[in-house]
Amino acid sequence: MTKVSININGEKYSEDVEDRTLLVHFIRDHARLRGTHIGCDTGHCGACTVLLNDRPVKSCQILAVQADGESVETVESLEGSDGKLSIEQEAFRDHFAMQCGYCTSGFLMMTHHLIREYPELSREEIREKLHGNYCMCTGYQQIVDAVQDAQKKFNEKK
Amino acid sequence: MYPKPLTYKKAKTLDEAFSMLSQNDDARVIAGGQSIMPMLKLRIASPSLLVDIAPIRELHEIRLDGNNLTIGAMVTHREIIESSEIGKNLPMLQETARHIADVQIRNRGTIGGSICEADPSADYAPTLLALDAKVVLKSSREERTVDLDDFIVGPFEVNINQGEILTSVIIPVNRSPYSVVKYARRSADFAVASMAAIVEKKPDGTITDIRVAVGAQSDRPLRMKELESLLKGQKPQKKDLYLEVDKAVEHLDPIDDIHGSAEYRKEVTANILKTNLGSLIFGGI
Ligand SMILES: Cc1cc2nc3c(=O)[nH]c(=O)nc-3n(C[C@H](O)[C@H](O)[C@H](O)COP(=O)(O)OP(=O)(O)OC[C@H]3O[C@@H](n4cnc5c(N)ncnc54)[C@H](O)[C@@H]3O)c2cc1C
Ligand code: FES
Ligand code: FES
Repeated sequence: MTKVSININGEKYSEDVEDRTLLVHFIRDHARLRGTHIGCDTGHCGACTVLLNDRPVKSCQILAVQADGESVETVESLEGSDGKLSIEQEAFRDHFAMQCGYCTSGFLMMTHHLIREYPELSREEIREKLHGNYCMCTGYQQIVDAVQDAQKKFNEKK
Repeated sequence: MYPKPLTYKKAKTLDEAFSMLSQNDDARVIAGGQSIMPMLKLRIASPSLLVDIAPIRELHEIRLDGNNLTIGAMVTHREIIESSEIGKNLPMLQETARHIADVQIRNRGTIGGSICEADPSADYAPTLLALDAKVVLKSSREERTVDLDDFIVGPFEVNINQGEILTSVIIPVNRSPYSVVKYARRSADFAVASMAAIVEKKPDGTITDIRVAVGAQSDRPLRMKELESLLKGQKPQKKDLYLEVDKAVEHLDPIDDIHGSAEYRKEVTANILKTNLGSLIFGGI
């Protein structure tokens, strides 16, 4: 057991965990934030994508102890304290960019990262950046629409 | 899925890492974790101790020494893509890194981890073989520098001793014309076929240097030395090149799996070699 402290969405979570605990388990079972999903558990699907020190990573591919002392953002960080949806969430809703929604939190965190990292991305580039996120139901058309729209709205607000 | 119970330790210096590794016969290094985590979860690997080498400063360096670029083992795929030093001196390596996996994996995965993993379909190896890269291995007792070609033994197997750490890769600077190709159904997947080549010619078209390597075509990435020696010093016609490529590809022995049958992999390899060696040699095809 090791004491692990991770800043998640601005709040510090400290827990004694087994060293083999995955970051995604720390987030879901210890911090009790259930928006981050486990899909494949092999590093392929991206349902577990969170930002670790502002960079997207797959939280099923990292041990919680590796993230000790670092900061993590999950999908729960997107919604404003007033309950208003974020730009990314609005865009996914407006474009019907989900069906079952299982993959959505991962896509939202990627979108959150992409619109801040790049002022402009072509549809082709967006597709390339989303290679690490699988959606088994929607098809990627609407998801790419949503990312483009979120990028436009984010740039207008800046 | 949970790995088997294990102990995890962060090493801040190489000496600390060596002493941790020596405490335990089945201790394993963890770098970016992108290859070892799935193996731990599937319990294909179940070391009792994991030594995290990420905090070791010197493993993150990118340094130009004369004609060689030294890249620390912990440099991530992303850092390779973003490094202006690598862009200037080894554009071929940068292009290779762009095609590895996806954004999330590239943020964590490292060059040292990829080399030590020795997946026969991984992307760096053909490029590094064509570049004549060497790897530096250190232990508490010794330091050795080995040609990458000799370091790779077979599928998922490298010439490393328990307690040794790959600390850096030494790569001669290259600004000669090159080609790197990865062929996969989805570009984030491992290659079904891949190649890397460097060609230098005299103005009259005579090939003065040619180095070709392929991935995903055998139990390990391969330099195609015979093909190189047939073409070096020559001014081949297109039909000669095609003939030699076909002959060279006949000797390959790729695996048959769900990603591609052996026949298919060879066919793709022959095609990418013809097209891309063709454009390097004849300047456009
Ligand atoms: C979904 C997915 C897709 C991928 N797609 C591709 C792809 O298209 N192309 C490609 O090339 N790769 C691909 N990879 C592999 C990826 O590039 C890994 O990052 C890389 O193979 C391993 O690097 P790492 O730093 O994560 O190593 P780790 O997983 O930390 O380690 C891998 C192995 O090397 C050992 N090791 C690591 N560093 C050292 C060192 N310095 N000294 C001694 N031993 C060491 C470890 O003990 C372990 O056995 C993919 C991985 C995933 C999960
Ligand atoms: S659950 Fe982590 S990548 Fe699929
Ligand atoms: S909406 Fe169902 S997996 Fe993406």
